[in-house]
Amino acid sequence: MSKWYLGLSTSGHDPALALADESGRVAFAEATERYLQDKRAWGAAPDHVGHLESALAAIGFDPAADELVVASSWARVKANLPVRVSNALLPASDGLWLRGLQAHAVEAAGASLLRLGLAAEQPEVLRFDHHECHAAAACYSAPFADGLCLVIDGEGEVGAASLYRVRTGRAERLWRSWGPGSLGTFYAWLTGQCGFDWRAGEEWKVMGLAAFGTPDPMLVEALQAMLTIDKGRPQLGSADAIARAVRAAGAYRRDAGDPAEKGADLAASGQLAYAMLVDQMLAACVPLGETNLILTGGCALNSSYNGTINGRFGFERVHVPPAPADDGNAIGAALLAWRQDHPAAAIPVARTSPFLGTAIPRRAIDLAAQAQGLASVTQSAQPAALLAKRLAAGSIIGVMRGAAEFGPRALGHRSILADPRPRDMKERINNRVKGRETYRPFAPVIAATQTHEWFDRAQPSPYMGFTLPWQAEKRDRVPAVVHHDGTGRLQTVDQESNPWMAELLSAFERETGVPIVLNTSFNVMGKPIVHTVQDAMAVLATTGLDGVLLDDVLIEKSTSPAAPLQ
Amino acid sequence: MSQVDIAEVSDFLASEISRRTGVPQSVLGPSTVLVDIGLQSLDAVMICGEIEDKYAIEVEPTMMFEYRTFGEVLQAVGELLATV
Repeated sequence: MSKWYLGLSTSGHDPALALADESGRVAFAEATERYLQDKRAWGAAPDHVGHLESALAAIGFDPAADELVVASSWARVKANLPVRVSNALLPASDGLWLRGLQAHAVEAAGASLLRLGLAAEQPEVLRFDHHECHAAAACYSAPFADGLCLVIDGEGEVGAASLYRVRTGRAERLWRSWGPGSLGTFYAWLTGQCGFDWRAGEEWKVMGLAAFGTPDPMLVEALQAMLTIDKGRPQLGSADAIARAVRAAGAYRRDAGDPAEKGADLAASGQLAYAMLVDQMLAACVPLGETNLILTGGCALNSSYNGTINGRFGFERVHVPPAPADDGNAIGAALLAWRQDHPAAAIPVARTSPFLGTAIPRRAIDLAAQAQGLASVTQSAQPAALLAKRLAAGSIIGVMRGAAEFGPRALGHRSILADPRPRDMKERINNRVKGRETYRPFAPVIAATQTHEWFDRAQPSPYMGFTLPWQAEKRDRVPAVVHHDGTGRLQTVDQESNPWMAELLSAFERETGVPIVLNTSFNVMGKPIVHTVQDAMAVLATTGLDGVLLDDVLIEKSTSPAAPLQ
Repeated sequence: MSQVDIAEVSDFLASEISRRTGVPQSVLGPSTVLVDIGLQSLDAVMICGEIEDKYAIEVEPTMMFEYRTFGEVLQAVGELLATV
């Protein structure tokens, strides 16, 4: 008999589930959006029956003998607090909608166990503080056990930031902010002013567009005043300051139908204001004298800012987990439930594999390989060498190997890969496959040991959490992965944690002399990353993708520019 | 805080309420109903945060809503501090 800990992300957006075993090891974690193929899966149950059923099968859960403890990533229902939803930055209707979704998710957590025959009545649910879940999940993947952990997001139990001191993997809260002052809400507001929709997760677009703009010092000052930082805690600025910022932003505002470049200066100014505010929060941490920083919460997805931290405020190592936003809290809730049963134990740290999701069944690969009329099929004992040859020849290949990544980034298991050297590769991928806006960059993958040869301020970035400047003289060698401002949101790879990508990079370097591959998530715009072999084949069939590598089977279009190997 | 200085807590609480409502501290008494002097719900939550920070204790954000009067809130904070 085994005991399992089922962590559920119950925010109402970005639902996810995670399963930890009796040793505190996370055996499975996956966002609901992947299973449902519905971006962000608003309002979906994190213990969606079909998804939970498949997750339990993946870990070998025995319903007859095993026990399941259910944990939620919120301590309380936000709507139960009799406080009027703030409309200072976002419309109150958005806030009310979010509260309704959160209330439902928190209250219904665990109900799927009834449907699956795993409970005779509504199961007891352990409920944990939202930011504590963020911190626990982030500590789990950190390469160090001591330091500070700063959570910055849109909304927590009482405010939108918390600071923890981490000792032997256990996070103890030093403070939490109270009230509606929120960097996450600020950035969501900025996203709207730039003509994008935060509800669609379009904060990425602001970050990408910022590289094309020039910050206006007056605007930056006005935007910064929308929040004040008091002893490290973000607080909402005065009504006058907010009104002044809204007026100042109005002159730069972009509507959804306007050309993207119209919003570039506002995006750049907002990104700089965000950076200056978080700088103030980190400056307040200096007296604590810690050299290791874990940054998490939804705002830790701001890779442009993250890449500027190391070497400042006394921090020598910075860790951002693979899933810093609310999906990652499924892991946090599972670990905190586990710790409740093991109070003397520390949360395990340095669990660096993000490959915690669904693996692909061999039978589905075999079926796809037998499909007639569409493809040429090559099974290879050396898929990395085969793929490297194809990429070097100009093919754009979707890769689906092993267990899926947990978190928003494709890290080589559910990725579209290509050669970063051709100047037009970005345009080709956008036109033929992704349908993404041209101002958004594609990411480079590079061996951790070679990062310092290509980037300034080189540091580990195993989950694409950091954007760094390319060395100026290297940019022309890989133009498809160099952003407009000369940066790259890189993924660093080492043999131990990502042997597949390490092997691919070596093979690609042998082919081309360049140890870098372009990596973008295996999806089309507006859809989540592919979940099944059928999803992958649908992208192959309906886009200009040249081929799909399913574990060791390469399926290519017969019209692919690269001929099949003999 | 094993020895709770209730007068000090009372002063702190009164100053916070006064700062947020504009009502002079001298007007506040044990029977003052906080809603009646215009204390807004968000201010009530923020005062919970001020108490948490000042006394390094964990305060539930619902605390200020569970009690109606200044005296009742003061007693609740005092009891919370006595348990630390």
